[in-house]
Amino acid sequence: MSADAPPAPRVFFREAIARALAEEMAREPRLLLLGQDIGAFGGAYREFAGLHARFGAARVRDTPVAESAMVGVAIGAAAAGTRTLVSITYMDFLMLALDPLVNYGAKLRYKTGGQLRAPVVVKTTAGAKGQGVAHAQCLEAWLMGVPGLKVVAPSTPADAYGLLKSALREDGPVVFVDHKRLFPVAGPLPAHEHVTPFGRAQVVRDGRDVTIATHGYMTVVALDAARRLAHEGVSCEVVDLRCLAPLDVGTVAASAARTGALVTLEEGQPSCGVGAEVAFRVRDAVGTLRVARVGALPAPVSSNPVLEAACVPDASRVVETVRRLLDPARRAAPPSEES
Amino acid sequence: MIHRLQVPGPISDVEEVRVLQWHGEPGRAFAPDELIVEVETHKAVVELRAQQPCVLRAILCAEGDWARIGATLALASDDPDEPLPGAPDDAPPLAVAFEVT
Amino acid sequence: MQGLEALRAMLLIRAFEHRLLARPDRGFQLASSGAEAVAVGVCAALGSDDTLLTSGRSIGPALARGLDPGAVMAELLGRTGGPCRGRGGRGHLAQPAAGFFGAHAVVAGNLSVAAGVALAMQSQSRPGVVACLFGDGACGSGALHETLNIATLWRLPLLLVCDDNGWSVSTPRAAALAPQRLADFARPFGIASESVDGMDVGAVADAARRLAAHARAGLGPAFLECASARFTPHSTATRETRTRAQLEALELRCPIRAHAGALRARGELDDAALAALEHEARDRVDDAVAFAEASPMPGPEELLDDVG
Repeated sequence: MSADAPPAPRVFFREAIARALAEEMAREPRLLLLGQDIGAFGGAYREFAGLHARFGAARVRDTPVAESAMVGVAIGAAAAGTRTLVSITYMDFLMLALDPLVNYGAKLRYKTGGQLRAPVVVKTTAGAKGQGVAHAQCLEAWLMGVPGLKVVAPSTPADAYGLLKSALREDGPVVFVDHKRLFPVAGPLPAHEHVTPFGRAQVVRDGRDVTIATHGYMTVVALDAARRLAHEGVSCEVVDLRCLAPLDVGTVAASAARTGALVTLEEGQPSCGVGAEVAFRVRDAVGTLRVARVGALPAPVSSNPVLEAACVPDASRVVETVRRLLDPARRAAPPSEES
Repeated sequence: MIHRLQVPGPISDVEEVRVLQWHGEPGRAFAPDELIVEVETHKAVVELRAQQPCVLRAILCAEGDWARIGATLALASDDPDEPLPGAPDDAPPLAVAFEVT
Repeated sequence: MQGLEALRAMLLIRAFEHRLLARPDRGFQLASSGAEAVAVGVCAALGSDDTLLTSGRSIGPALARGLDPGAVMAELLGRTGGPCRGRGGRGHLAQPAAGFFGAHAVVAGNLSVAAGVALAMQSQSRPGVVACLFGDGACGSGALHETLNIATLWRLPLLLVCDDNGWSVSTPRAAALAPQRLADFARPFGIASESVDGMDVGAVADAARRLAAHARAGLGPAFLECASARFTPHSTATRETRTRAQLEALELRCPIRAHAGALRARGELDDAALAALEHEARDRVDDAVAFAEASPMPGPEELLDDVG
């Protein structure tokens, strides 16, 4: 972008989502939105604001609290000639819909030999923010290995907009994971219409000493940690994965090949987590690599502020992990570690 | 006396706001409890109402602009003819009540 | 259609399954023997604007819907000549272009999907009804309640058909389901519902036509309960739990025999005609088997095709 171009307008995270939805609803008359509280209420975070008034109750449908049926209906409708987006307000309750999503939706194209496809987006909000053990989880890792399912997780309003528009043009099921703590985030969103292709991670901060691969709200945490580490003379490259399936290993691997050190960071459980997958694949591509994995500690995420803060990764824990990983005194230690 | 109309805080979870609508132009006098400006957080609209009589003198943050908590949105004065200072940052904050709607 | 066509269709299903189950390469199958009248009766009410979804007990309904028996046999035997290129098998048999949106092998798993298909038709103002066949075993699932609720709220053109053969694998209905009549599951929602003798193809067809018309007219979903019987074990991998005497008593209610008897009584069928129809069914199955056997298995190189 030239120095003379006006800066992109700044928007709230929810406005980026609402704009993407409005544009795609206008572009695709067959697109239906289903979800709890998405009609006149406009969504839990007002990310559906204005859509019900503009497109009507037949296309923006409030549903009862019935996540399994909501997703099954959304998938059936998508397979039968519409396009749907179903909003699952809390990612924790996506568990109720795993049967229709995984056993039917993800397998539909394959099991019918290509006769049917389900262009459905499951939009869901993950993350810990004081609401308790069953309203706090980040479960992306459970989904990214399901054949037939795509999973995306933006960390900025611009990516929320671009990835959601792309998701609404895919011809199969996509899980779009946003995060409670991203809704307060404001950021630039270019005024012109555009889409963000899947399968492309983004280097959001250049650095030389370590690669931090992360996604979603943890990208904000990683950048915070990187700023702190810069004061200590440690230069961090932060890679926002953006798309967990398909995963852009190449961008992370190219970065890790230069820095020689990789820290994976996620809010979910690290065991069998996103970072485990990223670390393996990057190591497979790069060869020997110092790796550390940061994720939630192995406990449910309580609403208790002390316990939640202790459980979920924060910038301090990332800083500590990077320091330990890069500590020359530890070069003889085993090449990977956990925190 | 010159006062700064600041973005109030702390508001839980909020670092910046967008100015939505000014309810008066420079020169307009406000009585206590009158609505001066609405600003928008990611969650809600916040109404800033005068808690002291004042005259709006200069709007520094236009509708659609963004401002962080504590930033100066406008200058107000007790008297309509008071000269405005060159460095407004020293001016004391205007007393406002803010209500999250 | 409650005439010779219905008899022909039921004979085909019986002969087809009989031949399939005798094959060493039959795979994991759920047979419809005893429930032919439910499949044929429901399909008598469906036209080209309509579509049918089923549970994993799909063979009878697919044939009743008019899918080519050769293509069905190929699919069941894993051949690429099947509509799903041999990947779905019986549990996921589908041919949407022929009005068979598909089977899904998860008990109650197709209910909300069927409601979604109905939503698509409604939202695009397409005529037609979506019929979804499921067993009594699905009635204990929350999916039925959730689907009934949403379909009623949104007045979806959905016909839910419960093929109640009285068993969930080894559990008799009385031990699995509290309501006396399964149509009572629909009662709280105030929708049109009927309970019929699932061994009487005419009764099934008449009720299905009434309820399908109701749903097609935009009056909301409907629920049809058909009391049927399963002459075989739950599946080819399941032990039979009933005694020989119990099975023999059950087979006295055979829907094919009952319908043949009804046609005889009306003067529309005699021994020679019946023999000819049975022979025709066997011939059609011969052709189906020949087609399937001539169709190749997929190669492993196809494994990653159409994953999505």
